[in-house]
Amino acid sequence: MNIWNPVRITWLHRANPVVKLFLVCSLFLMTVLTHDIDFVAYQALIFMLCLLALSGVRTWKMLLFFIPFLLAFISSSSSMMLFGKGDTVWWEWGLFKVSKESFYRGLHLGFKGIAFACEGLLLVTTTSSVDLFYSLMQKLKLAPKYAYSFMASIRLLPMVWEEYVIRRQALKVRGVVPIRGVRGAVNRAGMYVVPLLAQSIRRAHRVAAAMEAKRFDGDRGRRRTYFYPSRYSRYDLLTIALLAAAAYGAYAAAGHFPWFGIGDVRFD
Amino acid sequence: MGAQPRKGLRLSDILVTVLVSLVLGVVYHFWGSVYNLLKPLFFEADELLYGMWFAAATLAYLLIRKPGVAIIAEVAAAHVEVLFGSGWGLTLLMYGLIQGLGAELVFAATRYRSSSAFTVALAGAAAAVGSMLLDFFYSYTDDLQTWMFLAKYGMRIFSGAVIAGLLMLVLAKALERTGVTSLLRPASQKDYEALDDSRHV
Repeated sequence: MNIWNPVRITWLHRANPVVKLFLVCSLFLMTVLTHDIDFVAYQALIFMLCLLALSGVRTWKMLLFFIPFLLAFISSSSSMMLFGKGDTVWWEWGLFKVSKESFYRGLHLGFKGIAFACEGLLLVTTTSSVDLFYSLMQKLKLAPKYAYSFMASIRLLPMVWEEYVIRRQALKVRGVVPIRGVRGAVNRAGMYVVPLLAQSIRRAHRVAAAMEAKRFDGDRGRRRTYFYPSRYSRYDLLTIALLAAAAYGAYAAAGHFPWFGIGDVRFD
Repeated sequence: MGAQPRKGLRLSDILVTVLVSLVLGVVYHFWGSVYNLLKPLFFEADELLYGMWFAAATLAYLLIRKPGVAIIAEVAAAHVEVLFGSGWGLTLLMYGLIQGLGAELVFAATRYRSSSAFTVALAGAAAAVGSMLLDFFYSYTDDLQTWMFLAKYGMRIFSGAVIAGLLMLVLAKALERTGVTSLLRPASQKDYEALDDSRHV
């Protein structure tokens, strides 16, 4: 299931998924712990550029994916702007109170959201689930039963969708007339959820029995071989260097060319 | 007498947990649009629907009462967002992890024995508290004005208890009636006795 369909293969595609996971987690940590609005704004900008350059996805397609970022920016920043704590009140109307502090904190949250999204997409656009689980098993010693359960379930999911379609057709053939309103919605949900879940449980159980018979659970025998071997390569070092440079670039830019220059946005 | 059921999670437990959670993950994905419908109503009224996002943890536990199931379920459900290519996929995985952990702690406190309405509702509420802790880091919600803060998380915890707790209990009961859950329980003493019963020959 790859909806990204990259047109170029970049360094990031060639790096080991485990290395990418660690890198992205450390970038996440950096962004979580950033309370300086300039630094976060530059992080959002620079990782957006990294994403355009490194994801290998067509630029216009990636730009389309940026549209929801804008909506998220507005929704995550507006709540804090309108209801946040602050002393220098700019505007007050009923329950709304926009202060200087809450306004900038709202902006900060908007940028932060974009930075998180870009960092996450750096991993997601360049790594398939199968590659990730294989290297988690080999490099981080994740027990095979977890990895194979995830991989098998991902393959089973489209069948659940198929069953949903069949169920809908069956209800139509039987002439079930949908009831309007909230009651109808609850009633309809019940008509779908129970059979779909019951069937998923049955199917998952059958597949699992077959997999256990084939020793996919890896409970016995420490040594096993893998169809896709996962190795480290020089691309790991290149990727680490590149993203570290990007993070440092954001830090340096925030120090030299601050846009807001107000420092910490937290209220205390 | 048959072999004792093995302790711990087996592949079949995990696979059922993960598949059920992925299905719920798809529901989570579309729940976002339902959630947005309530947004304009009044401030943070959408929080009343937030509990749906903890549902995988409690439902999976009600099906398979073993340690670790709640955490795996929430992570698997969040993983759907990664599959769908959402930018927030990885952030949501972290939320999934901590929400699952919140529910798991409640189940662990009952030593994985209780599945009463109270326990399950408490687990849903604990998952909400987990998401609140992560919110402090992600979005500084502790810097909201106090009334707003209380309203937001009060509604979220309530919704966790009702949707993830009580609603999932009803759903689990409905699944129980279909008979599929008997696949997931280890064979009991009664089942072995039934084999020896001469009338069943």
